[in-house]
Amino acid sequence: MKRRTFIRKAGLATAGMFAVPYLLPSGRLFAGTGDRLVNHVVVVLFAGGVRHQESVDQSYLAAQGFPTTGNLLQNMLAGNAPTNNLIYTPWQPILSTPLAKHGTLFKELRYATGPTGHFNGHTAAITGNYTDVSLDLNVNPDYPTVFEYYRKHTDPARSAINSWWMSEGLGPYPALNYSRNGMYGPMYGANYLRPATTFGGYGLEYLSEAITFQPDDVTKISSMKNFLDKNFDKTAADYPGILNTSEDREKIKSFIYETLNKTSMGQIEWPLPPGISTAELTGDLVNMAYAWQVLDTFSPELLVINSFDLDTCHFNFTNYLSYMHKADYGVGWLWSKIQQHPVLANDTILICMPDHGRNELPNSVYDANGLRAFDHTSDENSRRLFALIVGPADKVKQNEIVGDAFNPVGETVDLVPTVAHILGFHEYIPGGFLPGRILEEAFV
Amino acid sequence: MKIFATFRLMFLSSIIFLGCKKDITQQTVYDNVIYEVNPVEVYASNAEKTKQKSSQQFISILYSNLTNKTIPGDELSKLSELSLSFGDKELMNQVLLENFLGNPGIIIPTNDEMRSNPDAFVNETYLKFFLRYPTEYEKYYFKDMIIKDPDITSEMVYAAFAQSNEYLFY
Repeated sequence: MKRRTFIRKAGLATAGMFAVPYLLPSGRLFAGTGDRLVNHVVVVLFAGGVRHQESVDQSYLAAQGFPTTGNLLQNMLAGNAPTNNLIYTPWQPILSTPLAKHGTLFKELRYATGPTGHFNGHTAAITGNYTDVSLDLNVNPDYPTVFEYYRKHTDPARSAINSWWMSEGLGPYPALNYSRNGMYGPMYGANYLRPATTFGGYGLEYLSEAITFQPDDVTKISSMKNFLDKNFDKTAADYPGILNTSEDREKIKSFIYETLNKTSMGQIEWPLPPGISTAELTGDLVNMAYAWQVLDTFSPELLVINSFDLDTCHFNFTNYLSYMHKADYGVGWLWSKIQQHPVLANDTILICMPDHGRNELPNSVYDANGLRAFDHTSDENSRRLFALIVGPADKVKQNEIVGDAFNPVGETVDLVPTVAHILGFHEYIPGGFLPGRILEEAFV
Repeated sequence: MKIFATFRLMFLSSIIFLGCKKDITQQTVYDNVIYEVNPVEVYASNAEKTKQKSSQQFISILYSNLTNKTIPGDELSKLSELSLSFGDKELMNQVLLENFLGNPGIIIPTNDEMRSNPDAFVNETYLKFFLRYPTEYEKYYFKDMIIKDPDITSEMVYAAFAQSNEYLFY
């Protein structure tokens, strides 16, 4: 027996000796996870930096000096759409009643500390801890992510196929599926996917010619690989990224090939109103469309996606409003799909929250319509967020509004404890990790 | 006489200079017989491999191994982005491998070639993927399998090598 193998086996045996005395009368190894509200959580980081004024406040063009106001988020919030000075093409809402009627709106939620940058905002939301670290490409965060808490503290343990993080773009975002924390890390990470690459031009160019190995062939390849691995004393345990089980890996591989095939055949269902061309698709809507493919195929218990196109507001306010309107349609579409799914319907809670806001005052850029653009440089306005928590009426308070400009309720870092509460593992997270609280006002 | 004196001088010089020199024998084996691209030194054993390849190195080397060409920069860039777009890197490596193997542009021995000379095939495959010669035991295992199992293809053998742990190290 090789030394490494011996050590591994001895370690397992020792672990078993410690574990056995803790077998519970129920036959389970560890204490069961706490009560869940539902079995599925979908988080949409309505990101890219969203000004409170044009979203929740529904002030439309007021910041540009026009008297026209109105609600661009017809699927998410209650309120009438703008009726004049239209600089976007209104899409008929997909939902008959806005999501706010089916849940609780935290109208004024704070991004309390740290720079209001996208990486910071995403990291704070996903780890439940603010960060001062500025854009740091492809470095996993210090604090554990919500995915790691979920996988480590859910009993029985969940494999990675149950948790997904899908981003509209690449940049630093692939690194948010697990942390560098020694108690957690990649073994508890989520599957990460950026659909616009995997299923977009590069995927279609390079992943559409796969050789097909029959199941018997796969077994033989695996047998040869095992032989080769036995003759080599190192493993790929340190290979960057998360690991799926062999069984899940085959499922995910089939999913990738099937989705690529559907894409090339034009069979992907897009979040577009009837009669609207795919030329109107945005990166956000593409991400939502493929998020649905993941939800429909795997029914994961935890899925986090983001939108990002709204960041065009740095230089194009007109497009910013248009993209916001479209992203709202995507959220409504996703919810309508969830409600038609045999597993997910009535067993899913959806949370929408921006990564951060944007400045109160414009920068020096004007777009083609002469509208001022806005950055996000950590002023007070860029710390103003909202959160919408939607779910079954017996779990989530319906048509409830919490907080206002004078009385903010909730913070960005409350997202993780809230998800942990919904999925029943909050009480198992060790103390000191999460400064935030459960947004209990939302729950029945 | 002058000629003899010259030879004697050369002989004495060789004793003086060469006699003090320690004999060092360095055997360098190149795999350019296989690749016919760039000569690369082979490992004496797999114990010498201690560093893990990055995703980019994996893609680049796999491409070279299967096409006998250096990967063009733009292709490496696109494939690296593809690799980045999925969190399970081993799974993405597997997907990329399957697509490389399905590409008509790859250079891979036919099954007839593999079966006509399994010894050479196994040697060349070890050199191609592991940059070392197989041990006698390894050679026996693969040769025996190829001979006894008519369903084994060269693509399957390549797939196993490219997915092995050793292939992830250098």
